[in-house]
Amino acid sequence: MSQLIQLFPLLSILILLIFGAFLTPLLKRKKIILKLHIAINSLVTALSFITLFYVAKFGPFVFQIGHYPAPFGIVFKIGPIESSIGLMFSFVMTMVMWYSIFSLEKEIKEKRVSFFYILNSLLLASLLGIVYTSDIFNGYVFLEVSTLAACGIIIVKDKKENIKAAIKYLLLSSLGSGLVLMGIAFIYSISGHLNMTYIHGEIIAAASDKTNLLLISLILFTIGLGIKSAMFPMHVWLPDAHTNAPSPSSAILSSLVIKAPVVFLIKIYYLVYGIEFISNSNVFELLLIFGGFGMIMGSLFARRQKILKRLIAYSSVAQMGYIFLGIGLGNELGLTIAIYHMIAHGLTKSSLFLSAGSFIEQTGFKNIEDFKGIGKEMPVTLGIFTLSALSLIGIPVLPGFISKWNLALASIESGKIYLLAIILISSLLNAVYYFPIIINGYFGEDNLDGKVFRSKSKPIKELIPVIILSLVMVAVGFLSGSVINFIKSGISIM
Amino acid sequence: MNMLANNYLEVGAIILFGIGFMILLLHNNLIKKIIGMNIMDTSVFLLFITIGYIKGKEAPIIVGGKLNTIGYVNPIPAGLMLTGIVVAVSVTGFMLALTIKLYEKYGTIELDEILKMRSE
Repeated sequence: MSQLIQLFPLLSILILLIFGAFLTPLLKRKKIILKLHIAINSLVTALSFITLFYVAKFGPFVFQIGHYPAPFGIVFKIGPIESSIGLMFSFVMTMVMWYSIFSLEKEIKEKRVSFFYILNSLLLASLLGIVYTSDIFNGYVFLEVSTLAACGIIIVKDKKENIKAAIKYLLLSSLGSGLVLMGIAFIYSISGHLNMTYIHGEIIAAASDKTNLLLISLILFTIGLGIKSAMFPMHVWLPDAHTNAPSPSSAILSSLVIKAPVVFLIKIYYLVYGIEFISNSNVFELLLIFGGFGMIMGSLFARRQKILKRLIAYSSVAQMGYIFLGIGLGNELGLTIAIYHMIAHGLTKSSLFLSAGSFIEQTGFKNIEDFKGIGKEMPVTLGIFTLSALSLIGIPVLPGFISKWNLALASIESGKIYLLAIILISSLLNAVYYFPIIINGYFGEDNLDGKVFRSKSKPIKELIPVIILSLVMVAVGFLSGSVINFIKSGISIM
Repeated sequence: MNMLANNYLEVGAIILFGIGFMILLLHNNLIKKIIGMNIMDTSVFLLFITIGYIKGKEAPIIVGGKLNTIGYVNPIPAGLMLTGIVVAVSVTGFMLALTIKLYEKYGTIELDEILKMRSE
């Protein structure tokens, strides 16, 4: 039985690739395609859930693909971090798929709907691959697959702006992957291995006389993966891509695609280089600077936006800043909160994008001004939007507050008190740009004038996935203690 | 200086990487950007192959149960780069397809002109 469960991570990737990506083009009927994809994604979520339970009960395990042992074959190393992030990815993807059944055809041409599902399966498979793999070149290949699939779900709408946004993303992303590949070449020339654990052994032996080479490769990885995960000065592709994509794609891009490279980066830092080498270099200060600037500048940019989805996209830049800040603190709590915030932000941002998508779909407007009084017309949807926005602002019990609070504790623990000011300013800025939308939506005589109660609200059936997402988000906030402990147990064995 | 001359393949790879990187970053023409990306990727392939190559040695092919060479070229970098080439080809193909689409919609492939069109 335990052998079978250890197969699940590979099995979920293979199911997604074979049934989701390669079998679907053969099918003609759209209803069958939809049902197949919902079934596949639910199955993958269930498999990830079982894997999570197995890891929680019996501890982490190493799975050898094709029974080739570590230095020769590719191995998956599944610990608490990998399994929880994998569960978050597959769960959010399933919910977004469920939502997209009702709304996708209103945004893209009917002929292209099946493309969207194919690309999503490919995307989820590659993202899970990045998270699970313990082989550095395997991670690079999965990273490239995820980039191409992410471009695919942007251009599936086939408008002028989408193609422009996709090519901007692809150009910057291939810049990043070139840097990552160069980093792998440097690492390989020192170590002669591709498995992360074995590279680490060789690097420890060579660290004293090859310091410069190691530092160069470290910076190449940081910048390369930073471009892919929208680290602050390299975020320029993100707002265009997330604004113009169809709403389900925006939710996936914002909550999943930019998280996976960060997981890969954490693995490279802690498994390949090791904490001793990293804390002797200055790379954590670099991450602190980029993360801190991202938190403040992302919010400042978001405050000036007039288009709702663009505002949420810039807010993603700010939230990625929190994650990089957490990693950059360099202590155990900081890294734990970075991973916790990945899960929290994934759930929050997807429900935020989906509820914003339903505003746009029902009213046909894009600008924030036009959403005045939307709370009377679509009370439930704005309720979900409010809950997610409150989490990002940092209202207690919701996950956004938990990560901000613990991030503040972690920065005190590491002796960098000035970071508290950055966290505080960033939270206030979050409130400054989210509250006007909520207040104008619900209150004000002239805002609500002439609006008919529930006139534009979506049927509750179509909102169930978003409601489930926000309920799970609240649950992650309530159960934050056990979630954080679980992640911490993964970090201590890393 | 002598070290640079002895390792001319590595040096060449790094110079090519720089050239490709700057073309990809700074040029406005999309076709030139794609060429730059290809130069950059190829330079990494060259570097990888150079890491595994020993002059005068052969590939480790077993004939009759015995390795018939003394000292052989590391086959792993070559295998990796085969994958890398596939990745680079698919990215290039996708990017060229997008460029055609972009030309159909905007009538130009200069990125700065396309970006200017939004502000009008």
